[in-house]
Amino acid sequence: MIKTLNAIMVCTSLMGLVGVYALKYSVEDIAGEKAAIERKINRQKGELSLLLADWSYLNQPAHVAPIVARHKETLNLVPTKQEQFGSITALPMRPAAPDTAALDQLLNSLDAGIDPIEQLIEAN
Amino acid sequence: MALISETSILLDGGRVSRGNLTRARIRWVIAALVLVFLVVAGRLVEFGLTVRDSTIDGVARDVITATRPALLDRNGLEMAVDIRVPSLFAAPRDIVDVEEAVTKLRTVLPDLNEEWLRNKLTGDKGFVWIKRELTPAIQERIFQLGIPGLDFVTESKRFYPSGREAAHVLGGVNIDNQGTMGIEKHMDDEEVALLQELGIARDQALTPVSLSLDLRVQHAMHEQLTDALTRYQAIAASGVMVDVRTGEVVALVSLPDYDPNDPGSINAEYRGLKNQRFNRITSGIYELGSTMKTVTIAGALDSGKVRMSDSFDARFGVRFGRFTIDDFHGKHRILSVPEIYKYSSNIGTIKIMQAMGKDEFRAFMTRLGFDKPIPFELPEMRTPKVPEKFSEIVAATASFGHGISISPLHMAQAYAGFVNDGVMMPVTLMKRSPEEAAQLGTRIISSQTSREIRSLMRLNALAGSGSRMNMYANGYRAGGKTGTAEKVVKGRYAVGTNLNVFASGFPLDDPQYVMVIVIDEPKRENPQSGTTAGWNAGEVTGRIIQRVAPMLGISPDFSQILDDKLVPPAIR
Repeated sequence: MIKTLNAIMVCTSLMGLVGVYALKYSVEDIAGEKAAIERKINRQKGELSLLLADWSYLNQPAHVAPIVARHKETLNLVPTKQEQFGSITALPMRPAAPDTAALDQLLNSLDAGIDPIEQLIEAN
Repeated sequence: MALISETSILLDGGRVSRGNLTRARIRWVIAALVLVFLVVAGRLVEFGLTVRDSTIDGVARDVITATRPALLDRNGLEMAVDIRVPSLFAAPRDIVDVEEAVTKLRTVLPDLNEEWLRNKLTGDKGFVWIKRELTPAIQERIFQLGIPGLDFVTESKRFYPSGREAAHVLGGVNIDNQGTMGIEKHMDDEEVALLQELGIARDQALTPVSLSLDLRVQHAMHEQLTDALTRYQAIAASGVMVDVRTGEVVALVSLPDYDPNDPGSINAEYRGLKNQRFNRITSGIYELGSTMKTVTIAGALDSGKVRMSDSFDARFGVRFGRFTIDDFHGKHRILSVPEIYKYSSNIGTIKIMQAMGKDEFRAFMTRLGFDKPIPFELPEMRTPKVPEKFSEIVAATASFGHGISISPLHMAQAYAGFVNDGVMMPVTLMKRSPEEAAQLGTRIISSQTSREIRSLMRLNALAGSGSRMNMYANGYRAGGKTGTAEKVVKGRYAVGTNLNVFASGFPLDDPQYVMVIVIDEPKRENPQSGTTAGWNAGEVTGRIIQRVAPMLGISPDFSQILDDKLVPPAIR
């Protein structure tokens, strides 16, 4: 009776021993993995911060302006003049109906051999 | 029986003695076990009580790796970011061969002094800095050396991608990433230091802080002012642009400047002079000359004692004892209020101020906040010099901007109030929504006076000293006032050394921005040009407006109706 009990207890403690050690090693493994991942995250965060700094540097007007200045000649770049701005409201409205009379007159004059546009060019 | 009893006694005695022995053994085992467990418990307590020294030169490790929030401009472009860089430290007590370590380290970092390095690495310390803020490439090479006792801490280093352009706004940080100047110092004083103290800011991303600056406008202003330094051979130039509706500072430049990535460069000499690289917009106070006339006239019109249609006798100079104050562009006739403004008549302005009363004039300056440094985020501020009480002569000179010194930021804030329908917004460097701003404004003049001031400013651009500005900013309905103040050199006004100012607003039919440009000691650009403010500060203003107005969503409009509405033909 006692012998069987002893045997069972020895077995249980052996199993417990194996189990605890297995757990310990697996925890150590996981901790190692965690540390490795943390190191990796840290390194990538560092790289990311450098890339972000690079990106914002490349986006700065202070960085873009010299590039524009360098290609001014070849691309024929000049600052926009006030007169070059327009607005939709400044466009004339579409005529309500085609101006048939003016069109007829133009066709007639073309038939007669007079080109108003040519005349304009010659006048200048 | 006897045998049995004897045996039983024997058996009994044997059992008892065996039992006693067993009990004694058990006791010994228990005692030994208790002892063992006591030792274990004791060690546990000992471990629990041990404080591991993880500080670096007495500073907690996570304070050194603490991050700062990124700074963004109003459109979300980064102006200051943290980059994580490795810093090399050594634990001298773990170093086996000091000589070997010194020789090997110097192959990668040859600029380290050999003697200094040997001293650092010898000893029993647990932590000494070798070199901070290295590059990842160098870190890799030092790893390759395989020296025991050397290791790296990842530190945060502040990087300003915009370089010098917004130097005075950003300020700078020291090697421990603490703000020492500008908005960086302000943030530390406010909350970042507190957050770091609580451990919240450590090693994690913080919400970025949005500033009110617009980097595009900042760039344009910086470029134009740099150009002005050479074009007019000026010794210094500065400018500030404010959104009149919210009080946000859109651009702030002061030249000569420094590189915030190397904050020590603020102490570098400039043309052989020290202390020239300070922020002239906030911590410079100047006699801003005739730009003050707008203030005087606004106060007088708002008091109701002077009307736009009034005329003043400007035929003769005003005498105070043995001084006579006369006009620079003298007309010497009777002038209306718009003419006084247009011709920048000192005599006329004094008469206007006198009609208003000098005490009321002084009170108006208090209302504009000219007594105190402006409540502003930057720590670099100086108290303006405005006498507590005005005597007759001080009031007279103050009316055209002499004898009182204020910062250009004061002037910008006041002008912003004048054109913004009379409501002055406290200036700020933090992004502010129109809803927030709506609760902050104070009325300094009435809507009616604001309208009149706007028409005077536009009139000056159409037909007065602002016409050179208007030549460049044509179509953007800009207007403003020049100020050419002779600088005080060795206690007296020096002829020929001027501080030129141009204070302007645009577009005046729908006021949005106000700008103050200050050019210090400009010379003639060419023999045909002049040295007064319209020729330099005015032109710079015009060129900046021409550049930035389209970016700010203001489209040019040349229609005559707008100007006729702004400046009624009656006052031209």
